[in-house]
Amino acid sequence: MNGITLFAPELTVVATALVVLLIGLFLNTESKKVLGYLASAGLFASLVLTLMNLDANAVMYSGTLTVDALSQFFKIVFLIVALLVSVASIKYTENNEHVEEYFTLVLLAVVGMMMVASSNDLLVLFISFELASISTYALAGFERRNLKSLESAMKYFIIGALSSALMLFGISFVYGLAGTTNIPEIAQNSAMLVSSPLGIVSIVLLVAGFGFKIALVPFHMWAPDTYEGSPSVVSSLLAAGSKKMGFVAAFKVFMIALVALKTELTMAFAILSVITMTLGNVIALSQNSVKRMLAYSSVAQAGYISMAFVVMSPMAITGGLFYILSHGFMKAGAFLVTAVVGYMILSENREAENVDHLENFKGLAKRMPISAFSMMIFVFALAGIPLTAGYMSKFVLFSSTIEAGLVWLAVIAILNSAISLYYYARVVKYMYFYPAEGERVSEPLPYALTLIAAVVGVLILGFWPEPFIQWAMEAANVLIAT
Amino acid sequence: MPIGDFAFLIPLLPALAFVITFFLGKKMYAGGALVPIGAITLSFVISLLITLNLLQNPDQIVAQSVDWFGAFNLGILIDPLAAVMLTMVSFVSLLIHIYSVGYMEHDKSKPRYFAETALFTCSMLGLILSDNILQMFVFWELVGLSSYLLIGFWYGKPSAASAAKKAFLTTRIGDVMFLAGIIILFSDLFAIFNGFPDNAYMLQFTEMFNHIPEIAGMSAQIFGFEVSHLTLITLLFFGGAVGKSGQFPLHVWLPDAMEGPTTVSALIHAATMVTAGVYLVARTFPMFISAPDTLIVIAYLGGFTALFAATMAIVMNDLKRVLAYSTISQLGYMMLGLGMGAVIGMEAVGLSIFHLINHAFFKALLFLCAGSVIHAVGTHDMRELGGVGKLMPITAITMLIAGLSLAGFGIPGTIIGTSGFLSKDAIIEAAFLFGEQSHNWLPYIFAIVGAFLTSAYIFRLLFMTFTGKPRTDYEGHESPSSMTVPMVILAAFSLFFGMFTTGMFSRFLGDTFNFINMNLNELATSLGNYELLHEAGHEPLIILWLPLILAVAGLLITYLIYHRRVLDFSVSRNNPVYKLIYNRYYQNEILTEGFAIKVVYEGLSLALYHIDRGINWIVNAIGSALTEAGHMFRHVQTGVVQNYATAIIAGVSLLAILVKIIMEVI
Repeated sequence: MNGITLFAPELTVVATALVVLLIGLFLNTESKKVLGYLASAGLFASLVLTLMNLDANAVMYSGTLTVDALSQFFKIVFLIVALLVSVASIKYTENNEHVEEYFTLVLLAVVGMMMVASSNDLLVLFISFELASISTYALAGFERRNLKSLESAMKYFIIGALSSALMLFGISFVYGLAGTTNIPEIAQNSAMLVSSPLGIVSIVLLVAGFGFKIALVPFHMWAPDTYEGSPSVVSSLLAAGSKKMGFVAAFKVFMIALVALKTELTMAFAILSVITMTLGNVIALSQNSVKRMLAYSSVAQAGYISMAFVVMSPMAITGGLFYILSHGFMKAGAFLVTAVVGYMILSENREAENVDHLENFKGLAKRMPISAFSMMIFVFALAGIPLTAGYMSKFVLFSSTIEAGLVWLAVIAILNSAISLYYYARVVKYMYFYPAEGERVSEPLPYALTLIAAVVGVLILGFWPEPFIQWAMEAANVLIAT
Repeated sequence: MPIGDFAFLIPLLPALAFVITFFLGKKMYAGGALVPIGAITLSFVISLLITLNLLQNPDQIVAQSVDWFGAFNLGILIDPLAAVMLTMVSFVSLLIHIYSVGYMEHDKSKPRYFAETALFTCSMLGLILSDNILQMFVFWELVGLSSYLLIGFWYGKPSAASAAKKAFLTTRIGDVMFLAGIIILFSDLFAIFNGFPDNAYMLQFTEMFNHIPEIAGMSAQIFGFEVSHLTLITLLFFGGAVGKSGQFPLHVWLPDAMEGPTTVSALIHAATMVTAGVYLVARTFPMFISAPDTLIVIAYLGGFTALFAATMAIVMNDLKRVLAYSTISQLGYMMLGLGMGAVIGMEAVGLSIFHLINHAFFKALLFLCAGSVIHAVGTHDMRELGGVGKLMPITAITMLIAGLSLAGFGIPGTIIGTSGFLSKDAIIEAAFLFGEQSHNWLPYIFAIVGAFLTSAYIFRLLFMTFTGKPRTDYEGHESPSSMTVPMVILAAFSLFFGMFTTGMFSRFLGDTFNFINMNLNELATSLGNYELLHEAGHEPLIILWLPLILAVAGLLITYLIYHRRVLDFSVSRNNPVYKLIYNRYYQNEILTEGFAIKVVYEGLSLALYHIDRGINWIVNAIGSALTEAGHMFRHVQTGVVQNYATAIIAGVSLLAILVKIIMEVI
């Protein structure tokens, strides 16, 4: 297959988005539930189409787009996360009159992310980046009567706009120096970037642009506010999906285009990743809002994954990619649990505020056993307890760091993991060791289904990592080979 | 499709049963008992079919494996040894599950009970069919965990909770040794392969056995002695087995483990946990047979345990404790049988496993009978019992059969006899040959004196419980058929299994290690310097008949003392020997109070405590400093979007400076 058929997954999602929007016009609020199923079905079809083309390899449209193991890897991560989010959203959007807008935005955001994974040109990358960003700005403010949601969307938008500007500024410098926006061609001319002082400026600007999405310190400050204020399902998409878009863009730009600047970048990334993981973990210690805690944990995880940019060995990139895949399940799942808890609290008291406060997790094991159990698996995975995806990811990434001789970095990362155990275990303590404050609540099916799916994912990756590591290695080879 | 392809279901079905019963058992009939019963029935059927297939086609060993991670694999290996163990474990476990439906009828936590027993069965089956030592260790630990849960099943009772803890901690000592053995083995193989092998799985039994000569060649200096790595590894493995199989001195947890439901005792003492240790040694026997020093240790320790535990069984007044010490003693015989590898080579595996299987039948039966008595009468103190035989005829007869099998009644020189007779006598005879050849007579003396005591304690139990007049007021009735049917089935096995299988069994198990294509007896002769005997049966007549004579003597003496009361054996309670034995050789005082409390806790632990407090202070200080830092950084997060933008711009500038500096430095 070649040409347009390789983009069948993206086209499917776009078509679904349009159909959802169109059908939504003619439905009354009650029957809009069908849109959620439709969107999920579209995402599922797209996932199947991507899986069918796992080993495709092509560059097309004048070298602006590429389909290779790396892009397919990320597309699958995005689609899985989007699928989890969209199935869970069926319940979240129940009885909402703007369902079609919600799902259309989710689908368009996913298309943006997928295109970033496929882009082979800085301009295409930027436009796709914007497509995903703008869709998520709107999603973050989806609860238009909720001040917190609006505030979070506003902050996200302002900081996002600033970052986009910085990124575009960086791209313009690169274009000025290298004379092209095509990523492989930049790689050939990257010697010019090294010799010019403007090269540094362009790189730093790009780091800031991607660092915004990845939530690297100090470009992370929007993240806790936005993750906390947005609807939980949207936070899930942001933390598990949109963050990875930053990573794939960074992988492409720093490892392919700017490969000549490797040594200079290594040290800068080492410092960034250490600061990011430490700051994220330390602040997470004192959070009482679970979503905020997860947001800082997500910052910390970004720090771990960034170690791949420091080590840059094939094994480290494999570890980083595997971590990204695992993180998709763990983080999406954890945020979805906060969505279920929010649903539980709001169904008791419409006016409740701070629904994700740790207090609301008291005795969750008795009230909603599936959610509590899933949350336990997710936080243990995030902390890196063996037999979960998180453990295997950390194992591969940290051991590759040690192999590369960066023992100090691995030690810092491991100490950080130890710190993180405190705030993760605290959630488990609240769920399992405190008496329940309320009746048993039956968990809505869409939520329960997605949670179970994510738990299964986390456990499979933890128990049977070999094939997935192999797959990540193939994706990593794309970065190494060029 | 060959039946071997279904082998993976053997542990998987009980595992699923565990999940289903645990979560949904409450709403099901009899606390969800039928789920594990169904699952284990299927496991049993599959195991049985595999065994029958192996009997007809000895070369159709089930060996499957898949990548796990690195150079390790997950795999299934069912050779004759594993096949008979699987069949026995699933069969006995099945009967105990059926019996439990009646026995646990009035317990509120039935779902938890059946879920945990299913998990226990799953772990044991998984342990047996593992094809590598790492996977075996995982299941080994699972067995330990589920036994902890089951012994402490009535966790409301402080004695049960502490017994569970004791079992867990004591076996943990063995587990650590086992793990240490695996680690040494791993590093040896790593050196032999020169890194991770490309086309072989490390720690798979095949690889382990194929490299025995190389491992034997490595040696380490320990306290000035030159010790071969093979000896070290096997001793550590044996250490694990000592813990799990209750050998001296790690047997202390086993009598206390009686705090769980009696069915759990049957499950732990007959079919599952305690046989895991013997199985571990049998499974890795090619390594043991190439390490002569270890084999001698096993022979001595096994024989000693057999005698030592039997002396204690004779003074206990608690039904279940007598049986517990009896189990320790019988496990000693099995270990002794394995230690006889020095004279009979690889046949020792068949010898020992034959006794293991027979023991599983009659010991499970003994426990189920005891459970039946306790269920009906409500006490397990033999001093309060008496005359129960009239109330519960089926229980009395089946328990008598089990007792005869344990004591070893049969006609020497023929294959007529109870199952226990056939297998135990073979071990005692082997011990005699061992003595003759190596002039190490102690194991034989331990075994033969133990045989006399075995007969004495079991008939003491039977006479005190079932004959005479009740010593206290109680009313009882025969147990329901869900309990008696498993008992009758086990009784039939205790009586006849040995007779039907005795010759076949050792021939069948003789094929066990065929999958590694090595002549192990030759390996043993070269590395172990043994002279193997190829023919047995030249013992003097008296040696053949001695075990039976002693068993009969035991019966007669207890008959005279406890039934006819002709002999007055009321030793003074102050008799020093009685006191020594009754107080179980003061193990509790020496090990628990003396060693554990005085030396470890008060001495070592308090000394370390002061050091630790210092460290603790540092740790706490770090912890609170971090939390404080968290609070402090939180204020940086002002929530004002302008500040965020400032941070980004500042970050960009700083980063640019940083990169510039790095460039200059490099």
